[in-house]
Amino acid sequence: MSTKEPKIISFLCNWCSYGAADLAGVSRMEYPSNIRVIRIPCTGRMSVKFVLAALRQGADAVWVSG
Amino acid sequence: MNIEIITLAEVQDIKGEAGNFSVDVLKHPRYIDEDKCIACGVCAEKCPKKIIDTYNAGLSKRKSAYVEYPQAVPLKYVIDPETCIYLQKGKCGACKKKCPVDAVNFDQKPENKTINVGSVILAPGFETFSPEAFENYQYAKHPNVITSLEFERILSASGPTQGHVSRPSDHKDPKKIAWFQCVGSRDMNRCDNAYCSSVCCMYAIKEAVIAKEHVGDELDCAIFFMDMRTHGKEFERFYDSAKTKSGVRFIRSRVHTITPVTGSDDLELRFVTEDGDLKTEIFDMVVLSVGMQTPKALVDLSKKLDIDLTPGNFADTQTFSPVATSRPGIFVSGAFQGPKDIPQAVVDSSAASAAAAELLADVRNTCTKEKKIVPEVSVLGDRPKIGVIICQCGTNIAGVVDVPKVVEYASTLPYVELATDKLFACSQDAQDNMVELIKEKGLNRIVMAACTPKTHEPLFQDTLTAAGLNKYLFEMTNIRNQNSWVHKNNPEMATEKAKDLVRMAVSKVAMQEPLAEVELPVNQTAMVVGGGISGMAAAKSFAEQGYETHLVEKGSRLGGQAVNLYMTAKGEYIQEKLAEMIASVESDDRIHVHLDTQLSNVDGFVGNFESTFSSNGNETKLEHGVAVLATGATPYHPTEYGYGTDDRIITSLDLDKKLMDDDPSLKTLNGAAFIQCVGSREPERMYCSRICCTHSIENSIQLKEKNPDMNVYILYRDIRAYGEKELLYKKARQLGVIFIRYSIDNKPVVNTDSGKLTVNVLDHILNMPLELEVDMVSLATAIIPNKDEKLSNFFKVATNTDGFFIEKHAKLGPSEFSTDGVYLCGLAHYPKPIDESIAQAKAAVARAVTLLARKTIFSSGTVAQVDPVLCAACGVCMSICPYSAPKFTEEGRFAGKAEINPALCKGCGLCVASCRSGAIHLKGFDTDQILTQIFEMDEAV
Amino acid sequence: MKNLLEHMGIDPGRLHFSWISSAESTKFVEVAKKVTEEAVALKSKEKKYMKTKPKVA
Repeated sequence: MSTKEPKIISFLCNWCSYGAADLAGVSRMEYPSNIRVIRIPCTGRMSVKFVLAALRQGADAVWVSG
Repeated sequence: MNIEIITLAEVQDIKGEAGNFSVDVLKHPRYIDEDKCIACGVCAEKCPKKIIDTYNAGLSKRKSAYVEYPQAVPLKYVIDPETCIYLQKGKCGACKKKCPVDAVNFDQKPENKTINVGSVILAPGFETFSPEAFENYQYAKHPNVITSLEFERILSASGPTQGHVSRPSDHKDPKKIAWFQCVGSRDMNRCDNAYCSSVCCMYAIKEAVIAKEHVGDELDCAIFFMDMRTHGKEFERFYDSAKTKSGVRFIRSRVHTITPVTGSDDLELRFVTEDGDLKTEIFDMVVLSVGMQTPKALVDLSKKLDIDLTPGNFADTQTFSPVATSRPGIFVSGAFQGPKDIPQAVVDSSAASAAAAELLADVRNTCTKEKKIVPEVSVLGDRPKIGVIICQCGTNIAGVVDVPKVVEYASTLPYVELATDKLFACSQDAQDNMVELIKEKGLNRIVMAACTPKTHEPLFQDTLTAAGLNKYLFEMTNIRNQNSWVHKNNPEMATEKAKDLVRMAVSKVAMQEPLAEVELPVNQTAMVVGGGISGMAAAKSFAEQGYETHLVEKGSRLGGQAVNLYMTAKGEYIQEKLAEMIASVESDDRIHVHLDTQLSNVDGFVGNFESTFSSNGNETKLEHGVAVLATGATPYHPTEYGYGTDDRIITSLDLDKKLMDDDPSLKTLNGAAFIQCVGSREPERMYCSRICCTHSIENSIQLKEKNPDMNVYILYRDIRAYGEKELLYKKARQLGVIFIRYSIDNKPVVNTDSGKLTVNVLDHILNMPLELEVDMVSLATAIIPNKDEKLSNFFKVATNTDGFFIEKHAKLGPSEFSTDGVYLCGLAHYPKPIDESIAQAKAAVARAVTLLARKTIFSSGTVAQVDPVLCAACGVCMSICPYSAPKFTEEGRFAGKAEINPALCKGCGLCVASCRSGAIHLKGFDTDQILTQIFEMDEAV
Repeated sequence: MKNLLEHMGIDPGRLHFSWISSAESTKFVEVAKKVTEEAVALKSKEKKYMKTKPKVA
């Protein structure tokens, strides 16, 4: 993987944004491939530590979406 | 598994009788084999024929091979024979050539089927009124005059403009939009309908508010209406906020002409304002709020099936059996029973299923299929042996992602025993092969890199179960919807992303433990709180379906508020019907009536409640599986309009009493005035009591019929005679009842000073003060819920600011609470007439029986669990949990520490995030598992 | 949360929140693009803050 490409980690709510991401696929929309999705049951599951861990791990950005 | 969906089918005839019908069905060909189609969409992509997309109200194009919309069930493509080039001309067949699973079959022929059933529920729906007939509205001629349904698609994120509000003619962003209400409703001039379609006022307000949200505050939205009918739950508040907060303009006027402005695509409206001035205003586009009607074909079918229709062509039903058609054993729900909104349609559909279940109670579970259970292999203490399966999904994934490379990479990951790919992992042979592989290689964890877990996880989990593996030893990663489909032009990056995703999933599944689903028995007894019409209807439906039922009433008699009522809108005498109902409840062995009884405590949870009844100082306990709350409401006791100071000023219920007694004084009255909205639609009670308009109209007709010379006035703010109650409104006007509108800032004044009873009101048409001399004033008082905080606390159910119970979901769960095993109906939910109360009672029972009929329930495996050693017993989890799952342990070693009831936990993880001690784990989504995915995100290759 | 990041010397622009319903695929794509663009912009702007990799269980 080229180090120039930023990596983004995203936490998507199973019921909302994850569904939107699926639908974007069904509609064959295109968007950059930098995002790695972690499916969580609900944004209630989010914790500060996940954000910090992701940043420490070298993620260039963290995106939490409910 | 126990629902067979027969699509593209038309009912031709229904023969036989209740308990034994034979239904003739004509099944049209889909031209795509449903069992083979994997909904990859290649056929639609390759299909060269573009036609108008009817789902998007004709505003966009689709192909001849299509799915109507992305959420369609079953999600299978279909070929439209009317436009398909191959089916019309015998040439093309592009879809057949490209279909990766060979599902296209042009040789399918229409099929005749006969189905044997015990009961039939009709839910055929409605069509919207076509406004083409109104030349003055320009719908057929002008592109910027559209229907509300078309506008709905424009607002939709999945619509032709992706939710961007633009007008059809030039795609310009509109600055001014007008809505016209009652297009095709409440009128009989042209081929339109006399009834009110019930839903259009609310949807127009909603569309206007959303349009303003999409475009911004500068968008000017104006709604032209006759009466604003926002009689649904929370609707009045929405209407008020649309006016005061969103700035939607409401103009009480029927627009008679739309004229296109020459030289532009704009439209000029001419209308008469309330003050009688003729005004013109220019708008960018006009939305016609079209009503609902029964399609002609359905009217014809009803005649053939011997189903009686109302004057408005809806299935005729009775107030006390609101979902039964005129033909026994055939029930009806939704808009074919009468124009209605989603919550009401959902209530009806549950009610119809309860009615059918009552009929078929004796044969419950005689035709149902059950799954075979494979014994589960223990993997505890075993080293993870992970199988990774990469699905090619035909070319859907393999066309973009280099699948062999991903497979090769996956096999190098830790604990991976086997990595392989499948053409279609979801196909039956691939599933069978997976079961074999699991057994042969002794795999104890599976990673599936394929489409979305939202649709396919349950399928693959079943495969694991079939192989004797705990279904939670599974992780699915989405390399189709969220990878190959969206990164089509960047296969290299997509392959890298797929590798990353697989690595993350492997690391997560390695930490996955088998999870147990706790099996809990469901007590087969039901409890109903409240002995009014709703409570009795619920108890009766439980009993008819064979369940022991306890009906708890705090008063000393059954019947609730209905004992005060005279006649229904359909002209049935309520006391007669009520007496029958009470007798049938009292004589039913399965119903135990507890009068003068209140609940003093409730313990337990879904399937296992224990309630304490308190009656005259005696306490008894009842174990029950479900509870229905039908605690009803009371009439508002007015302080306004001189009530209580003069015998001639009475409430609607007092008048009902006089009518029931056939009070001779009613005949001798020279004049009577009804005042509406007494206590309703006020700032402190911002809701419409829904039934009072119809009630006053009904009583005004009674008075007119007793004495046609009587002057009868109804003083109102908006007449809300929704549905076919509009016909009653019309009848009252024909009988000479005079309707005078007043505004909230200028209420009528009732005066008795001179000994005469007079009502002063400003006439809205003449704009002149009127003095009405009458002998009676009847006040249409509000309906106020019986607020019982104890009961709310017992069952952990909330009430809204008005004191009505809050249901699970305003649209989709109107008869149940978010607390599992607890249901609601009747006036405690919202004011409603008897037919709607009974429908909701049946609906609550139908929902409850889905639980009772299972006899046992399984909790989900992905629930939170407390480590009592770490728990600090702070109680934060208990206060934050929306489902009341955590509780303090009462006894044993860890008394005082929190524990989570797996039966109540929904696995949302709020408590996990809130726990300061890190004592709570969410199984299946544990902190370690999420962290490991984070850590594995950037393992450079 | 963003304040915390700022306090730690991390550009708060690296953290994004959004609310998207399951039907709003267009919005999802828009936000995905925006998040990526901002990440690209930030990446070129500042030197990456990176610690040693933790041990993986």
